[in-house]
Amino acid sequence: MGRTSTSVLAGIAGVLLLSALAAAQGDAPRSPWKYYPEDARANVGPGGPAPSRDLTGTWAGEASGAGVKPGIRPENPPPLTPLGKQLFDRNHPQGPTVLVANTNDPHLRYCDPFGFPRNMNDQIRSMTITTLPNRTFVLIAFQTQYREIWTDGRTLPTNVGGRGRDAHDPTYNGYSVGRWEDDYTFVVETTGMDPQTWATESGYPHSVEARVTERFQRKSKNDLTLTTTMDDPKLYTRPLRLGEVYFRWIPSQTFFNTTCIPSSLQRYLKEMADPAGNPSAAR
Amino acid sequence: MKAKVVMMLILVGGLAAMDSQSFAHHGGAAFEMKAPVVLKNATITEFLWINPHPLIKADYKDAQGKVQQWTMELGGIVGAQLVGWSRTTLQEGDVVTLYVWQAKTGALVGRFNKVDFADGTTMRDSQTGADDGGRADTDVRR
Repeated sequence: MGRTSTSVLAGIAGVLLLSALAAAQGDAPRSPWKYYPEDARANVGPGGPAPSRDLTGTWAGEASGAGVKPGIRPENPPPLTPLGKQLFDRNHPQGPTVLVANTNDPHLRYCDPFGFPRNMNDQIRSMTITTLPNRTFVLIAFQTQYREIWTDGRTLPTNVGGRGRDAHDPTYNGYSVGRWEDDYTFVVETTGMDPQTWATESGYPHSVEARVTERFQRKSKNDLTLTTTMDDPKLYTRPLRLGEVYFRWIPSQTFFNTTCIPSSLQRYLKEMADPAGNPSAAR
Repeated sequence: MKAKVVMMLILVGGLAAMDSQSFAHHGGAAFEMKAPVVLKNATITEFLWINPHPLIKADYKDAQGKVQQWTMELGGIVGAQLVGWSRTTLQEGDVVTLYVWQAKTGALVGRFNKVDFADGTTMRDSQTGADDGGRADTDVRR
């Protein structure tokens, strides 16, 4: 069975499961402050045509529990330059042969924020988009992060990470500007991301000069597709495809608390992950 | 019987759709997934409802009477909540039987599989709660 068919079946089954879970809740009084399994249920079907120039709302991703289909992962292998390979080789992402105990993933070991663009291609749980007259905010449930995308016509800064009075500091989410390409496609350009962050879970590096292009395409009232590419000529021989992720609109979505608490992480690593992966750390 | 099979398919499929990235987040390669270690009549010493993973800590008396101090992780809080877990599902002093996929290092740590309570009910992990280590076929305590 193809991946798409499997995903669709899994999604349908997820919706049905949540119905079963809802039924299992019994007759306990419902609290508006509590999150119920049925609240994670994605809307069924397209829900009608996409509204014009509007991404506002609460969106569920593939890891939200709402049965949203899996996205397309960042391309592998990445088209690295020699410098890119040198930086990539320093990163040891967690995987089948590298355990949590042995990774140097700054998030998994130290609770560092993912930063952009990783926070839009890894752990895609829930997202709210809200709009002001001059900017759009993307509120990301995982790690309780937000991104600020300016829509007032400004251009991206040209001197990030350099010296001089006109220089701008790199930031975890970089500097973003957005514009409507057509009534249903919002294009966001971002640069100036802190180069200490990883671009992907698999440890792809990026420089401060990297320029990321996101295309948020609202295909129906309930469907949003995000396609991302990264142009970073120092580290990649051509623009890198960072994949595609899918979101479904959920009317009453509540963010779970997935903040990484450093003291909790330290206990988790010391008492669980390190002994599990490193014999010298075992008691 | 047919209805039972359909419900089983629904539950398995639904769990497969849940929280798919979070298991990869802190993956399962560290654990021996062939057969769980069974800690009969273990005493819960702490239940930490934390990110990135809730931890169960329990004392287990082995055949020689020596007390082993175990630590095991659940799937992420999101997935756990959606299959009925809460921060009070386990409490200090509870005597239960724990099933755990032990770390390959041999340390007394592992990936949680399921828990049998004194009243005969069972709760499973959202990601490795099936008897073969796959996703659980059940959603709430039963």
